[in-house]
Amino acid sequence: MKGAELVIKLLEQKGVEHIFGYPGGAIMPIYDALYQSKVKHYLCRHEQGGAFSAIGYARSSGKVGVCMATSGPGATNLVTSLADALLDSVPLVAITGQVSQAVMGTDAFQEVDVLGLSLAVTKHSFMVTDVTELEHTLNEAFALAMSGRPGPVLVDIPKDVQLAEVQFKPRLVEEAATAQQQFLPAAALDQARLLIQNAKRPIAYIGGGVHMADAVPQLQDFLANSAMPSVTTLKAMGTVPPSNPYYLGMLGMHGTQAANLAVQQCDLLICLGARFDDRVTGKLAAFAPDAKVIHIDIDPAELHKLRRAECAMLGDLRQLLPAMSVPTHCEDWLKHCVSMKQQHGWRYDHPGERIFAPLMLKQLSERMPDNAVVCCDVGQHQMWVAQHMSFSHPRNHLSSGGLGTMGFGLPAAIGAQLARPKDTVVTVSGDGSFMMNVQELGTIKRFRLPVKIVIVDNQRLGMVKQWQELFFNERYSETDLSDNPDFVSLAAAFAIPGHSISRKDEVLPALEAMFTWPGPYILHVRIDETDNVWPLVPPGAANQDMLTEKAL
Amino acid sequence: MNHVLTIQTKNQPVVLERLLQVTRYRGFEVAGMEMKPMADFSGLLVTLSIVSDKPISLLTNQLNKLYDIDYLDCVESELTQTQASSMRA
Repeated sequence: MKGAELVIKLLEQKGVEHIFGYPGGAIMPIYDALYQSKVKHYLCRHEQGGAFSAIGYARSSGKVGVCMATSGPGATNLVTSLADALLDSVPLVAITGQVSQAVMGTDAFQEVDVLGLSLAVTKHSFMVTDVTELEHTLNEAFALAMSGRPGPVLVDIPKDVQLAEVQFKPRLVEEAATAQQQFLPAAALDQARLLIQNAKRPIAYIGGGVHMADAVPQLQDFLANSAMPSVTTLKAMGTVPPSNPYYLGMLGMHGTQAANLAVQQCDLLICLGARFDDRVTGKLAAFAPDAKVIHIDIDPAELHKLRRAECAMLGDLRQLLPAMSVPTHCEDWLKHCVSMKQQHGWRYDHPGERIFAPLMLKQLSERMPDNAVVCCDVGQHQMWVAQHMSFSHPRNHLSSGGLGTMGFGLPAAIGAQLARPKDTVVTVSGDGSFMMNVQELGTIKRFRLPVKIVIVDNQRLGMVKQWQELFFNERYSETDLSDNPDFVSLAAAFAIPGHSISRKDEVLPALEAMFTWPGPYILHVRIDETDNVWPLVPPGAANQDMLTEKAL
Repeated sequence: MNHVLTIQTKNQPVVLERLLQVTRYRGFEVAGMEMKPMADFSGLLVTLSIVSDKPISLLTNQLNKLYDIDYLDCVESELTQTQASSMRA
């Protein structure tokens, strides 16, 4: 068979059911091999959208996402999505066509150095120069994408390799991955248990690494057995049930006051699959200043990278968390944390008739079916979603965390809907972000995907405007979007019905109409441009120095 | 502080770019570099002289993750800052 056919056969053999992409000259042999394949290809309307759909697919399902693009502009359009997957540790395999080796390096039509481009935005990247290496390389790409700290892997395949003849004997049974025997670090575990037992004010700081390690049950057992408060990063929301009385919410720049104050006051910080990101820590030197640190991660480069840990452990949280469970003696601390949580609870008694986005999102959260997936874009609405919506599992909250990529939400929702066809998928977007990948409405139309789209529209690039208001003397440079299109009419052009609302009393009926409609639906929610996200840790400040609305 | 990294890599054309990209991105400066193929041409032997005030582990931990790197050893260099600067010149 040809190399191109091998690519598709191997995807079939690996059980890949869905891939996302866009064809073009240098990848035509692979698209030809795809014709009538068991692998279902979803034609996106832009390669960035296709790769974000693959990311949404991966993040909502725990499987590897696969996307394809042609050489040159097809591959360069993938770059942002690859970077997004790298920063959020998403297992992704990107297959790109490349011009034939005979003309490589001659500035051929649609030729760009994709391998060179990929260095900064992938976990690893391959170029296949010999068709006999193709099978091994693709197997390595899938293994690398999922192993250790997951991430994006790119495989660039020149057209002559796609067309070359090769022997391929499909395996009848896929080789089962052998579970690696991990030797637990006994001395470090002893130290960790001692630190936990002796702590008067311990707290668990939970990152996305917990669910990526499939360690959510172990984490919940650990919290129950050790009885300590917890906070999560944006990516880990849903790891701790919202009903847990000692769960204080998200920490960091727009975290809850209780979460930030508790971390600042703790004497032991147990960092689980998180990485002391600057949006979490605020002023690093003043972050959790009195705390000893236990840090567990699968990536050795994260240990001691930004914060020296008294006890650092490299390994699998599924094995390490049960070995760390010891009782704590911190009843006063727990009471104090519960008290802070009550004292700094959210208020929804916003005056007036106009829609208050935090309340609207709380109502959306309460109305959503169980196990619904919410895909966000980036900006004020993203932080409001994190603050005011509840999630039962991290795979139900897809948000571009590390890269903060506007345009993530709509295509990610497409991937999530395909990965979980029985679950409701909602994308919450802003008027700025929505326009970044609006062309993917065409994908929703084509595949009749029942994605629910909520646009929180303040006719501004709201988060940038908020910073201009607070830190740039109200000089609103290039953040006015008051010439937005009519979003409901725009969706109608893609045969997607919708409704526009601007008053509080319209919210619940509109949500009801959206969720009872069997297909895709767009709910356009007008809010006031003066609404801001609170609290906020100003840049360069310590996390206890949060600005609140009342303080201004 | 100066360090010398001795690195054994797979025989991939892109491996030198990867080494240099990670080193630059992570904020370390290359004061010198030597490369030669291994005797059986199965890989490359690379020696990197690195200048940085930051702990070298912040770089070696990142380099060790690279798929193309089979072995990495790090020793503190006897190069002074002046010597390193003259190497750069």
